[in-house]
Amino acid sequence: MPLAEPILCKRIPTPPWGDPRDRALVTLDQYLETDGYQALRQAVKTDPKDVIDLVKASELRGRGGAGFPAGMKWSFLPPEDGDRRYLAINCDEAEPGTFKDRMIVDFDPHILLEGIAICMHACRLDTAYIYIRGEYHAQAKTLQHAVAEAYKYSVFGKDSILGQINGRDPQCYVHRGAGAYICGEETALLESLEGKRGWPRIKPPFPAVEGAFARPTIINNVETLAMVGPIVLKGADWFKSMGTQRPEGAPPTVPASFGPKLYGVSGHVNRPGVYEDELGITLSELIENHCGGMRNGKKFKAAIPGGISMGILGTDQYDAKLDFDIGKAYGCLGLGTAGVIVMDEDTDIVAATRNIVRFFAHESCGQCTPCREGTAWMYKLLTRIENGGGTTNDLDLLLELAGSMGSMPGTTICGLADGANWAVRTILNKFRGDFEKRVRKQRYVSLPVAATR
Amino acid sequence: MAWIVKNSATMKIDRREQPWLDDALKAELEANVLPSYPTKQAATLPVLHAVQHKHNWIPLQAIEEVADFLGLSHAQVMDTATFYEDFWLKPKGKYLIMVCQSITCELMGQVGLLERIKAKLGIDVGQTTQDGRFTLMAAECLGSCDTAPVALVNEKLYESITATNFERILDDLE
Ligand SMILES: Cc1cc2nc3c(=O)[nH]c(=O)nc-3n(C[C@H](O)[C@H](O)[C@H](O)COP(=O)(O)O)c2cc1C
Ligand code: SF4
Ligand code: FES
Repeated sequence: MPLAEPILCKRIPTPPWGDPRDRALVTLDQYLETDGYQALRQAVKTDPKDVIDLVKASELRGRGGAGFPAGMKWSFLPPEDGDRRYLAINCDEAEPGTFKDRMIVDFDPHILLEGIAICMHACRLDTAYIYIRGEYHAQAKTLQHAVAEAYKYSVFGKDSILGQINGRDPQCYVHRGAGAYICGEETALLESLEGKRGWPRIKPPFPAVEGAFARPTIINNVETLAMVGPIVLKGADWFKSMGTQRPEGAPPTVPASFGPKLYGVSGHVNRPGVYEDELGITLSELIENHCGGMRNGKKFKAAIPGGISMGILGTDQYDAKLDFDIGKAYGCLGLGTAGVIVMDEDTDIVAATRNIVRFFAHESCGQCTPCREGTAWMYKLLTRIENGGGTTNDLDLLLELAGSMGSMPGTTICGLADGANWAVRTILNKFRGDFEKRVRKQRYVSLPVAATR
Repeated sequence: MAWIVKNSATMKIDRREQPWLDDALKAELEANVLPSYPTKQAATLPVLHAVQHKHNWIPLQAIEEVADFLGLSHAQVMDTATFYEDFWLKPKGKYLIMVCQSITCELMGQVGLLERIKAKLGIDVGQTTQDGRFTLMAAECLGSCDTAPVALVNEKLYESITATNFERILDDLE
C-alpha cells in the first residue's frame, strides 16, 4: 500500500503527489503557513522526558545507515550537570548512491531545523552543529540562510522558544566539511568538528557520554531529525501504522521498521530520483511504480539497496523487501541509507566492483592496517581481473581479504572497512559466474609459512 | 587518499612579507567564526576554508599564520590541512573541475566523458592547464546520482552532462 500522503515530502513536490520540476525552496513564511513549527511549539509545552518517550514509542530508527533506534540513543545521555551538551547533525552524505538529505536541505530546510530544535529540547542540548559535506556548496548557503531565518523567528538564540538550555541560549551553527567521506562516521565527524583530521575514535566512550569537546553529544542523520516533527504532531501510533513489524517471533526489544522512508534511486531506471514510501515496499514496486521501470526496457540484473557499503541484491532478489531486516533476509549488510543503485543486464559487475572498491581504497582514513592495505590490494586485484590478468586464486584471495577487515571481525576501528567487506563478499558470492568468466583457472597449493624456510 | 604522507622532509616554505591571513580577514573571523566554537582549534576548518576562498589555495606560510592566529602549533594545523582533499596546499587553476567517478556516474557513462574532457583540456586528472585556467580532478560521489553523470566546477554543480554540452559549458566560462 502506498503512503496516504507525503510526509517528509509534504512541501516538496514528489510523485505520485506532485511533479519534481515544481520543487522550490520553502521559505520560513511558507513553512509557517503549512503547520511549520507547530510541532516545536507543542514539544516545548511537553516535559523533555515525555518527548524522548514519544520518540522511543514510535520506534523511529536512524536513517543515516545503521538504523539505531533514535529514542534509545537519546536516553543514553547522562543527567545534566549544567555544562554544555551538543547535538551534531550528520549531513555529510557521501555514501555513493545517496542524495536524500540533500533534497531536504535544498527544498525544506526548516523541517530539519524544527527537528533539531525538538531534539535539543528533549535531550537538553544547548548547541547544535550541522556538519555538511564540503561539496554541498549551494546547500550550505541554503542552510545558513534558513538558520538565520530560524534565529529571527526565535527558534534559536536570545529569547528562544526553547527558553534557556543548560543555562545558555540555544545555538545552531553550520559547519562545513572539506572533502572526506570518512567524516560521515560519527566519531570522525566529531574529530573534524574539533578541527582535527577525521579519524574515527575507538568506542567506548560513546558520544552520548563523551562526544564533541569531551561532552555528551547526540549525533543524528538529517532525515532522522526531520522525521521528529511529524511524530510529535501526529503521534507514535500514526507513525507505527506505516512500515513493517519486527520479524516473526522476535522479542519487543528488537526494533521494527516503522514509518515512511526516503528512497533515492539512481542508475538504469527511467525516472531516477528521491521518492517517499513506507518502509518494506519491495524493490520491484519501487522501480516499477515510482521510477517508471527499467531504462530502455532492459532486464534487471542487480541493485545495491542502500549505498555501496551494504552489499548487493542479486538478479533473483528483485522482489526484496526494503526494510531494516533486509540484511538477514537477503544476504546483505542492511538497508543503509536506502540509496538504491539499479543495474541492468548489460552492467559489467566486475567493473562495478572495481569502482566500489576504488572508492573505499580512496576514502580509507588509513588508521587501521587491514582497511588501508586491504582495500588498496583488493583494488589492485580487481583491476587485474577486469583487465583479463586474473586467476581463480585471485577470487579466493579477494574473499579472504574482504572477510578479514571490519569492526565486525574486530580488526578495524570503524565501519568503513565493513562496507568494503560486505560489498566484495556479497557481490562475489552472488555473481561468481561473472568473475569466473574473466579469470584463468589456476590453483596454487600454498605452503604453510613454516615450511618455506 | 588522506593517509598519503606529504613530503615534509624536503618541503620548502616560500615566504612573503605580506601575510595571507591579513588583519581584515582575522577581524571578520574573530567576529563571525570563533564565537561559534568552545575551542579555537575547532575553527581550523572554517578558517582554512576562508583562506582558500580568498586566495584559491593555502600556502604553507598561511598554515603557520592560521596556527598562530588560533594559538595552535604549526604541526597541528598542518596535520589537519593535509587530511582534507578540499584543501589545496599547492596552487590550482581558476576553475576546479571535479568529475564524479563513483558508481552511478560510471554506470551512466562517466568514463567516456572524462576522456573527452581530458582530451579537450590536454591534461590528465590531477593536472592544471598551462594557462592556469583549469584544474581537472576526479571526485567521489557528489550526492547527485539521480542526475548522473555530474561534475562540479568550483561551487556550481552541472547535472546530466554529456561530453558535448560540458565542452560548451567550459567554452562559456571566461
Ligand atoms: C564510514 C561511514 C560513513 C558514514 N557516513 C554517514 C553519512 O554520510 N551520513 C550519515 O547520516 N551517517 C553516516 N554514517 C553513520 C553514522 O556513523 C551514524 O551512525 C549516523 O549519523 C547516526 O545517525 P542516525 O542514528 O540518525 O542514523 C556513516 C558511518 C560510517 C561507518
Ligand atoms: S576502518 Fe578504515 S576508515 Fe575506519 S578507522 Fe580504520 S582505517 Fe580508518
Ligand atoms: S555517483 Fe556520481 S553523484 Fe553519486
